[in-house]
Amino acid sequence: MKIIHYINQFFAGIGGEEQADQAPFIKAELIGPAVALNAMVKPNGGEVTHTIVCGDNFMGSHTDEAVETILGFLADKEFDLFVAGPAFQAGRYGFACGTICKAVHAKYGVPVLTSMHVENPGVEMFHKDMPIFIGGKSAAKMRSDVTLIANYINKDLTGQPHTGAVDEKFFPRGVRHQAWPAGEKIAARRGVEMLIKKLKGEPYQTELVIPAKDLVPIAPAIKDLSKARIALCTTGGIVPVDNPDHIQSASATRWGRYDVSGMDRLESGVFKTIHAGFDPAAANADPNVIVPLDAMRAYEKEGKFGSLHPYFYSTVGTGTTEAEARRMALEIIPLLKQDNVNAIIMTST
Amino acid sequence: MKLEIGNFHVTDVQFGSETKFSNGLLTIDKEAAIAYLRGEDEHITDLDLVIARPGDDTRICPVKEAVEPRVRPDGRTLFPGVTGEVCPAGQGRVHALKGCSVLAVGKHWGSFGDGLIDMGGEGAKYTLFSQLINVCMVMDTDEEFERYEQQKKNHAIRWAAHRLAEFIGQAVKDLEPEDVDVFDFTPVTQREKNGLPNVVLVMQPQSQMEELGYNDLLYGWDMNKYLPSFVSPTEVLDGAIISGSFMPCSSKWCTYDFQNFPTIRELMAEDGKSFNFIGVIMSNLNVALDQKERAAVMVSNMALNLGADGAIVTEEGYGNPDADYVRCIVALEDVGVKVVGISNECTGRDGRSQPLVTLDEKCNALVSTGNVSELIELPPCTTVIGELQALARDGLSGGWAGDEILGPSVRPDGSIIMENNSMFCGDQIAGWSPKTMLEF
Repeated sequence: MKIIHYINQFFAGIGGEEQADQAPFIKAELIGPAVALNAMVKPNGGEVTHTIVCGDNFMGSHTDEAVETILGFLADKEFDLFVAGPAFQAGRYGFACGTICKAVHAKYGVPVLTSMHVENPGVEMFHKDMPIFIGGKSAAKMRSDVTLIANYINKDLTGQPHTGAVDEKFFPRGVRHQAWPAGEKIAARRGVEMLIKKLKGEPYQTELVIPAKDLVPIAPAIKDLSKARIALCTTGGIVPVDNPDHIQSASATRWGRYDVSGMDRLESGVFKTIHAGFDPAAANADPNVIVPLDAMRAYEKEGKFGSLHPYFYSTVGTGTTEAEARRMALEIIPLLKQDNVNAIIMTST
Repeated sequence: MKLEIGNFHVTDVQFGSETKFSNGLLTIDKEAAIAYLRGEDEHITDLDLVIARPGDDTRICPVKEAVEPRVRPDGRTLFPGVTGEVCPAGQGRVHALKGCSVLAVGKHWGSFGDGLIDMGGEGAKYTLFSQLINVCMVMDTDEEFERYEQQKKNHAIRWAAHRLAEFIGQAVKDLEPEDVDVFDFTPVTQREKNGLPNVVLVMQPQSQMEELGYNDLLYGWDMNKYLPSFVSPTEVLDGAIISGSFMPCSSKWCTYDFQNFPTIRELMAEDGKSFNFIGVIMSNLNVALDQKERAAVMVSNMALNLGADGAIVTEEGYGNPDADYVRCIVALEDVGVKVVGISNECTGRDGRSQPLVTLDEKCNALVSTGNVSELIELPPCTTVIGELQALARDGLSGGWAGDEILGPSVRPDGSIIMENNSMFCGDQIAGWSPKTMLEF
């Protein structure tokens, strides 16, 4: 495994604040923390091949230029992993490590790792984007901070499974996966033991910490409905019977939009549901029960609202992750905006 | 109620001229078993029995149900309202063949709630059933009305599995068990005051299909048309409830799970020691919001009137059922009952999605048993029982026919890529799960 290591001017031994405008450069040698990291991963077949150095001011004030230059350095290099820092409590260095790691991961797809102290603002900015190991305040902790990074890499090198953010000491990223911790009791026992502690008022650790609510504020009401353009959207899986966009019946990653201009209702046999999370009989017999085109056309004729957007948008909600749902919404929204849609009716099942 | 489960520990299973049990060896008269099952149901068109053992390089799919072979020495039917007339369960003696199960396997056709089992290799860790000797009942039927439906009732094959479990159980009807588990549930009003807190288990079995025939059955009764009731834990362990044919498989409780429900066993073990286990509030899972609310209100009132101080709430499902699960936990916490929840999560293939569809900060003690959408890639197995293509073709919750990046779930060489969703009872929410969820 080949590793490239990013550090700032100070840890490259060039100088402190007075050298912080140093433009980025790359060397096929080990400088500063890269020496320690290389020594720790070498026994397992890891190798730090290059060190990249950049002044913290340069990264902070010429971010785009610095990132572009460094991505350019990497274009012809063979590497499997990218490490930056440790940045300790140094705010600008933390920003630099987070920025370059994120950019390298986006461009080259390799794992990226860094280390910061909890009070480094870079933690808040970048903790969801990469493992940021929980580091010390200052360079006095260099060895132990690099050790955490090396331990993580050594697991990959020796084929051991990762044991999670708490055990490997990096800031949680909001990435949850199933795991088989060694010596774990069965769920029934864990539940009963947790209940005994909760009843006694003793401390216990829930296995799922309920995160703070991520609520989307409700949009203001439409003042004059008679002029509003309205669109129909659904997670109920209503599609033309041949499902032309191959939307999955569960855990959907695809959506479709279907032209209903000139239609007064969705006919059974022309549209159906491909949603696997409910009994499809009623929806197949009358797709309007999920996408109420018939009712909307009636209201449109009555002048209750201005006009109906010519398409309805459809995907399947069952098992579909929040992240996929958000992505699909972000793909659909521009199409609605383009046609000056004022409101949507979202039907779920 | 006092239930005695007489255990017979099975070390191997083979076919022979007579169904019998001796020194750990279970012998099944295959021809007699097949003749019996065919005689009970004219819809069976093709039927074979195959044995799969732990460690075999064998993949089983599509698996629809698992049942522990048992029999009642007094002649009562094993699953009241299913394998025979409705009769009391939860009291008396039942004999169980431990370490083995009857699996209902489709010869060709799969459905949304079906699952996959690998008996050996790295895939074995994903289900409990790789650790059991499985009598695979591989069957096809003439249930043409649902042949090409994604949702299938799988009636003939599921009922046959329950019947076969009882047929095999006959081998130990008149034998003396090697050991006996005694579950003595003292009536709630006849308990001595011991100063310990009172605890209930709230179970939410799957019942969300409004058309009957897909849901879990309690004494043969479809739990969609059902309101929460009080039952003895011994009834659950004794065949009063059977599994259905709807939920994505890793979230399912199969009948084997109900018969051995580990969370009940753990609660019974602590009864009178750490707390008083005063029974099961058997709820269900619903579709409409008012139905969910009604069940939560009735559960919390029942807990209140039973004098419960604590509860474990557990759901057979994920996604929409999370609304019932979270609502029920919150309703109990609101009346002062301290709750621990046991369920799985759906955090997506990348692990970044919201773990339950609704969240409430009052759910502050949760046990997590797995991620339904974890992507699993496994090498081919030398033997396949059933038809592997069902995983890709028939709309199993964790399989797909094609994907732009991942390709089909079933590859030409027999290797597979799938979501955990279709691992047979893979998240072991009944309480077996050695898995948890971690931040990575």
